[in-house]
Order: sequence, then structure tokens, then C-alpha cells
Amino acid sequence: MSISVKLDRVLLDRGMSLTELSERVGVTIANLSILKTGKAKAIRFSTLEAICKELNCQPGDILFFEDDGRPIRHDD
Amino acid sequence: MIRAIGKGSLASILAVGLHVVRVIAWIGFAGLSAALVAIPLIPPFAEWIAHLDGASIDGDIDIDAGDFVEVLRHFISFGVTLYVVERLLELLKTLRFGTPFVKENAVRFRRVGVALLFGEVSKIVIGILAMITGADVDAGLDFIVFVSIAAVFVLAEVFHEGARMKEEQDLTV
Repeated sequence: MSISVKLDRVLLDRGMSLTELSERVGVTIANLSILKTGKAKAIRFSTLEAICKELNCQPGDILFFEDDGRPIRHDD
Repeated sequence: MIRAIGKGSLASILAVGLHVVRVIAWIGFAGLSAALVAIPLIPPFAEWIAHLDGASIDGDIDIDAGDFVEVLRHFISFGVTLYVVERLLELLKTLRFGTPFVKENAVRFRRVGVALLFGEVSKIVIGILAMITGADVDAGLDFIVFVSIAAVFVLAEVFHEGARMKEEQDLTV
């Protein structure tokens, strides 16, 4: 998949566990685990908004577009 | 309005009907399988019996190729019926469990379509065999059956897409 999820990295930076995030955003651990492991096919704006609010980050801190494994940046 | 699943639903009524058809189809299929094996053996066996001391049966039993073609036609019909009924029961089972939109059901619908197509195409072969052997076998093709087979294949594609959408829905967080 060309969109990769770096939720684990942001969680590590914030020192927050998946269980804690689950309780704060009101999304089940199973669903957050699907997102974290990159198995998710889609993410609702409401979920993304809640995660960004709790982790105090931007959607771009969690989601990355990769072209054949190579990350694409604005300055590329 | 009739419910989709549960007691008294159309699915449960259909399942009961299909179970009855399955039993009948199994009996018919087993009987015809035995007949297919037995038919070529009957004339020599009857002749052998007639030659035994004290036997009072006519050893000249005439079974022609037409009889074999007739039995073969019913054998294929019962076989296809049995196969289709088994797949339909599997489909209804997933409906009862509340998970009809799975890829396996798309495959099941495709197999039903292929089996029905095989049944219809076999009629052509049976018709040719009947012409060769001079047997009086009704092997006429019906255009509506081919339309029904097309409908089954369309259903298979609908279920395939439904399964994909369900998977996407399940993996949306």
C-alpha cells in the first residue's frame, strides 16, 4: 500500500500506549491495531480528527504517501 | 413482509425445501450411478442366468444404446441438481450466520453458473448421442435457461463486489 501509517512512532514520541489512545478517542483497540499495522483500507475524518486532537499532531504526522517504498515530500 | 433470516423467513423455508430436494437428488443420483454401471452388465448376466440348470427366465434381454443415453441424461441432471443444491445450502448457511457477503459466496455462485452451463451444454452432447443411437431422448435447449445462467453469473459478480465493499467497510477505522 502506498499510504503508510506511522502511528506507532507518534505514540512513542508522546509516550502513550495504544490502549490509552483507544480510551481517549473512543475507538476500539482492535480498530486502532488495524490502523497501526497498516491493514486499514480507509480512515474516517472523525477518527483522524480525534487521533490528531489527542496526540496533538497533524494528519501528515501519522499518514505518509510512499511511491514504491520511497517517501514523497513537498520539497522533492 | 417475509423476513430475510430467522424462523419463518424465506431463507429458512428455502433451506427446508432444498434439504428435501437434496435427499431426493442423492437417492436419484445413487440409483442412476448404479444403473449406469449395471446396464452394460444386464444382458450377459441374464444370458448366464438363463443357461443355468432350472432357470426359467428369458436370457434375451435387449438393452440398446438409447437406454444408456436416457440414463446418462438423467444421471447428469441429478448430478447437476445435487451439486447446485449443495452450493445453495452453503449460501443459505452463510446468510443465516449473517455473513453473506464473503468472497466464498461469489465463488459458490460462479460454480452454480458453471454447473448449470455444464448441464445445458451436456444436453447438446446427449442430443448428438441420441441422434447417433436413434434414441428417443428429449434434449431440447431452452433459451430462458441460458438467460438464468447469465443471471447467476451476474449475481456472482455482485457478490464479489459486495464482499470487497464489506471488507473495505470492516477495515475502515
